Amino acid sequence: MSTSPEHTKVVVTGLGTTTPLGGDVAATWDALLRGESGVRVLDDEPWTEEMPPVLGGRIKVEPGAGLDHQQRRRFSRSAQLAVTAAAEAWSDAGLDGASVSPHRVAVAVSAALGDMNAIINGWEALKERGWRRVPPMTVPMSMGNGSAAAVALMVDARVGVHTSVNACSSGTQALATAVELIRRGDADIVVAGGTEAPLHPLVLASFSAMRALSTRVDDPAAASRPFDADRDGMVLGEGSGILVLESERHARERGARIYAELAGVGITSDAYHMVQPDPEGAGSTLAVRAALKEAGVSPEEVAFYNANGTSTLPGDAAEAKTVRDVFGDGRGPAVTALKSMTGHTLGAAGALESIATILSLHHGLVPPTRNFERLDDGVALDVVHGSPLKLGDGQNIAVKNSFGFGGHNVALLFRSGTRSGRAGERTESSGG
Amino acid sequence: MSGHHDVLVTGLGALTPLGATAADSWQALLDQRSGVRALPGDWPEDLPVRIAGTVTADPVDILGRVQARRLDRGEQLAVAAARQAMEDAGRPEVEPERLAVVVGTGIGGVLSTLGQNELYASSGMRRLSPHAVPMLMPNGPAAWVSLDLGARAGARAPVSACASGAEAIAVGLDLIRLGRADVVVAGGTEASVHPFIVAAFAQMKALSRDEGDPAGVSRPFDADRTGFVMAEGASVMVLERADFARARGARVYGALAGAAVNSSAHHISASDAEGQILAIRAALRDAELEPGDIGHVHAHATSTEGGDLAEADAIAKAVGDHPTVTATKSMTGHMLGASGAFGATSALLSVHHGVVPATRNLRTADPRIHLDVVAGENRTDRPAAALANSFGFGGHNVSLVVTRES
Repeated sequence: MSTSPEHTKVVVTGLGTTTPLGGDVAATWDALLRGESGVRVLDDEPWTEEMPPVLGGRIKVEPGAGLDHQQRRRFSRSAQLAVTAAAEAWSDAGLDGASVSPHRVAVAVSAALGDMNAIINGWEALKERGWRRVPPMTVPMSMGNGSAAAVALMVDARVGVHTSVNACSSGTQALATAVELIRRGDADIVVAGGTEAPLHPLVLASFSAMRALSTRVDDPAAASRPFDADRDGMVLGEGSGILVLESERHARERGARIYAELAGVGITSDAYHMVQPDPEGAGSTLAVRAALKEAGVSPEEVAFYNANGTSTLPGDAAEAKTVRDVFGDGRGPAVTALKSMTGHTLGAAGALESIATILSLHHGLVPPTRNFERLDDGVALDVVHGSPLKLGDGQNIAVKNSFGFGGHNVALLFRSGTRSGRAGERTESSGG
Repeated sequence: MSGHHDVLVTGLGALTPLGATAADSWQALLDQRSGVRALPGDWPEDLPVRIAGTVTADPVDILGRVQARRLDRGEQLAVAAARQAMEDAGRPEVEPERLAVVVGTGIGGVLSTLGQNELYASSGMRRLSPHAVPMLMPNGPAAWVSLDLGARAGARAPVSACASGAEAIAVGLDLIRLGRADVVVAGGTEASVHPFIVAAFAQMKALSRDEGDPAGVSRPFDADRTGFVMAEGASVMVLERADFARARGARVYGALAGAAVNSSAHHISASDAEGQILAIRAALRDAELEPGDIGHVHAHATSTEGGDLAEADAIAKAVGDHPTVTATKSMTGHMLGASGAFGATSALLSVHHGVVPATRNLRTADPRIHLDVVAGENRTDRPAAALANSFGFGGHNVSLVVTRES
């Protein structure tokens, strides 16, 4: 853990995902640009009759095709999603078959919750049929680090398997951990991101007991509406987002395609309330400022802000306060909130929203926020909606912000090289 | 001997099967008491394991009923241990933005998860607690400690199975070295003594099913060991930037001189001496020490045959046969996510007090182990530097190096 220069640049060279919108990066990105919704009423589950109608975002393509028999049998659902996304990212980075020393590769993959399916199924087996019927793989399938360990086995990572759990900012925290590992010189490559499979009755009922979930079951695709005046809570979704991060030197030496640089990280805690955000957004503001400072970027250089935007009343209002405080009233960057389409994938959210942020910089297009019809007066932000926002040539810096229950704030700053192409204009977006 | 002294340990807190504080637990180690006991009468009849290391102190007495009701037991233990550690450190005055929390856990709030599941099964979703989500999320302990102490430099929760508490301390060391905090409250917690978790570990054939005296079941390094004993607890330390601690005249236990974290990518649950050797060597390099400088090793040694042998091999190859070695899980049982932090605490106190507690229940050392494992009598020893190992399912290897303050 020698402290090598803070200035080791960390770049993104591979992306992989599976979401309620698509089974890979390309399908998910297309759906985001079209403003599609992956949310529906969960009405065909074994437990559907146990509970009142509930919304969720099931992944669009079941994992399985890319998994071998052992992986299907031994990995929890959240680990299967992570392995699926990691395989795509690894391949996208051009690392399939590449000669990479396992002693220069690390994994940082987080989930907000351990895999409930494995825990509860094992417990039910014990109660109904005795302890001998508890599946022997229950411990590794239910442990919070199980997904990270599964990915490490797949890519043969020996530098460390890290699972830093931060509730809804877990996936973002994993990317921050990856940056530290590379800057410190411990690893050249880190496979990092988040995964979550929370569509389990106990998880849905627990979030419902907090009154955190949207009850708009008569119109599922309109239920998740971040920053909209009529929002009434979040929708849970499942999925995984995994990125390959690499030291710039290593990426250049092997001639890898570089999507963007992860140039700044800010991490703070609110110490305000267990589940309520600080209405002043103070901790989150400090995190964004720290990320800007680390990257040496001034607020006016930020082209857009990829929001946490969960569609809860207090959460979105506090986040809006952060954006106004950091960037100045009325002068802030364009804001987009992708949970309007994917639902809230908890530990995966920060990672898959980071993937979208990077693709926005790469392609010069910011996906619109779905269901944004009427700006909440208390929000006062420039929310991209209707159709994608085209970025101008020089607009190559974005902030991804996340926070989670427990008061965990993690902000990331991404910067891409210049895109060739004409200076863009906003296409009928810019609400407010 | 040189070594890093830029991060010091100034406070300790613990609730373990051995005692209600770090000091009580240390004294119990020196007295070679066991915290492993028979589980209460309502423990399911058919389970093959009926013992565990349980915490007898009630964290509710420390937190008060109102706060305790909202917290999972693992969260209660962590908050209580963190308060003790800050008290023990003399309550350092530190800016909230310069105080960070890193508290790991192996499993998370599984007592709450299963408890809420029973409520859900019997009464439907209306009976669920509105506090259920924060009770079952694995970052809950770190988050509650950050709230309790007003820490704003981040609340982190590394989850690496049985290495979680040790990884938390390694993360804390980084945060101070990178200049992100002046004071870090770091450690681990676990409260998962539940029939389901016991059954799940029993199904892996990892737990001892011995039926004799509970206190004699956990036998690390013994030729007749039969598996590990589940335990619960929390262990937390206060880490401080050295000049910050010295400026306030803090009492210092020693330095956290180095740390290393790696992974085996070998098997989801088997031990791997090669990965452990690399972790130990990297921790020594990080501390700028040579193998000859290490006078004492606190072994992970859980009392499983494969695990103990792999670690003994790793210690012999990476450090040598000269240091004294002890395995306190012989007395505490295996506190999973808390064990790595408690192991570091024990190693540090050996350095600080100049005594190494003996490994309990070690009668016939496994002949395949060629180490100076302290057994019978405690050893008076003044190691200048000690190593503490922790390994977790999933291939996580963490080694920490502590030294006397120079």
